[in-house]
Amino acid sequence: MIELLSQAAFWLFIIVTVGSAVVVVFHKRVIYSAFALLFTFFGVAGLYVFLAADFLAASQVLIYVGGILTLIIFGVFVTAKIYTMTIPQQTHQRFLALIPVLVIAGVLMYVLFTADWKVIDHPNQPTTARLGKLLLTTYLVPFEVASVLLLAALIGAMRLARPREEDHEQ
Amino acid sequence: MNLTPILTPLILGAGAIVVLLADLLAGKGNKTVAQVVALAVIVFAGIATVAVWGRGGPAFYGQVSGDGFASFFNLIFLLVAFLVVLTSPSYLKRSGSNYGEYYVLLLLAVLGMTFMASGTDLLIIFLGLETMSISLYVLVGFHKQRPRSNEAALKYLLLGAFFTGFLLYGIALVYGSTGSTNLEAIADYVKAASTPLGGYMGIGLALLLIGLIFKIAIVPFHFWSPDVYDGAPTPVTAFMSTAVKAAAFAAAMRIFYHPAMTLGIPWDKALWVLAVLTITVGNLAALSQSSIKRMLAYSSITHAGYLLVGFIARNELGASGMLYYLFSYGFMNVGAFTIAYLVNRRGDGSYSLSDYAQLGARNPVLALLMSIFMLSLTGIPPLAGFFGKFYVFSAAVQAGYVWLVIIGVLNSVISVFYYLRVMVIMYMREAEDLKDLERVPSVGFAALVCGLAIVLLGLFSGSLLEVARNSILTIL
Repeated sequence: MIELLSQAAFWLFIIVTVGSAVVVVFHKRVIYSAFALLFTFFGVAGLYVFLAADFLAASQVLIYVGGILTLIIFGVFVTAKIYTMTIPQQTHQRFLALIPVLVIAGVLMYVLFTADWKVIDHPNQPTTARLGKLLLTTYLVPFEVASVLLLAALIGAMRLARPREEDHEQ
Repeated sequence: MNLTPILTPLILGAGAIVVLLADLLAGKGNKTVAQVVALAVIVFAGIATVAVWGRGGPAFYGQVSGDGFASFFNLIFLLVAFLVVLTSPSYLKRSGSNYGEYYVLLLLAVLGMTFMASGTDLLIIFLGLETMSISLYVLVGFHKQRPRSNEAALKYLLLGAFFTGFLLYGIALVYGSTGSTNLEAIADYVKAASTPLGGYMGIGLALLLIGLIFKIAIVPFHFWSPDVYDGAPTPVTAFMSTAVKAAAFAAAMRIFYHPAMTLGIPWDKALWVLAVLTITVGNLAALSQSSIKRMLAYSSITHAGYLLVGFIARNELGASGMLYYLFSYGFMNVGAFTIAYLVNRRGDGSYSLSDYAQLGARNPVLALLMSIFMLSLTGIPPLAGFFGKFYVFSAAVQAGYVWLVIIGVLNSVISVFYYLRVMVIMYMREAEDLKDLERVPSVGFAALVCGLAIVLLGLFSGSLLEVARNSILTIL
């Protein structure tokens, strides 16, 4: 029974993720796309749970659903004429694009179905404490480099977003 | 704790913050302070790199290694960054984007590169690449008033993000099949595996390689590079065509020169095709350019192809030849872009070749330096450019890729046309208006350093090759 329920939940998350992702890409109104993205992020968080990555799922909800998406929706709301605005949806060279898409999809499918993944021994244990320990011991250098990366992004974003000082003074 | 392997990036990271604060304290309008502090940081990092040369060894759970290989590349990055910082202010002033953040982002980009060269864990290499890329996206679009700079930044960002996806997917597949991102651990797993790990591990490595050669602009992943190189501020273009390529090659060598990473897959055959395409496409496109900046952009695609020849050879001479090539290519290309910038001071960003008419009479020193850069890029002895090509081609012959070398040499002959055309224009074409060039001492000094370095590296090519040979011992 548990097995069946878990299977049902898994497929529910799959449908929510993929279905809403399709809406994000194909909907002509940007506001609908923004809200559909909410469900995509949420569905991905659910998939993380099935991969025994509890902390990752929680931070996915907190950061993407709670933070970034709220920001996107605010951005969409404060944009004038958002309800009537439509995004151009023409696809150029549709058939030419189909070839690499099919090749990549085929290769990835082949990989997924033939792969002999290395399976870890004890899934379904809480990961938060272990992650915290690893980040400050084994993965200290990557952790610090990631923070430098964010610093670069922060400085760069501010430089690009700020108006020229000359314009500002006028 | 052994901090030696990450000494250079530590100095760069701390230095970037010092530059930020110094720029703030110096007040508005005074950007010389930021430049001088940035130069001091680079010199300091360079001294530190030489002082601990190759003595870092693996550290931090085998995630970084401060071996000679990393030291050699760190020196390349720092030398290029030094020359670029020296030449940047006059460009930034002219373009109305003279801000201290420029130097901060440049230092952080170099920091990312040092991790690409010293990382022995895919996670570190990925983070280094991203730190470098994010800084570059902003630097490319730094000239905000110029639409083409914006276009270039957006193009680079979108395609860069896409190819980062490739890289990350590759890392995920490698991790999924071996259970580790550490290069040594992956190699041990591959060696101990009872069944050969072909298939998806190979696809993972292929995706990883695609992510890296996108940054080097190898055909067919080069479509972004002429537009981005053309649109970016000229000093940034000089930086990207040399240091960024060196960093991506460093990471590729570190990963793919590991004996366990071949998996019995014929990488050389696939790369053989790419190398031929890269050399030929870059060359043919460079032939028809009327803008020197675009010509140099296409020529840098061709040079990436020559370097790929050394990469395919996969032997001692090939690897040390690549190091020599990248080292000297930094001087050649930064020098050529510096002169291109000095000569085309009309500010319209056209960088037309016709501006060079009568340069030999107007400014003999600049014309002589430009001739040295062009001859070196062509590969005329005894300049450094010749020896770089000579080493990688000899290595390819040693490894049995005779046809590849024949195609490479034929292309070098074609390239004589567009490099020497610049010289012909400088010395033989009549000019319509003989405007005097503005003199910018620091930029002229940088060009002079590049010219001298090319001559000296050519004369003492054996000594640098010896250093390069000692530097690659840990990765082959």
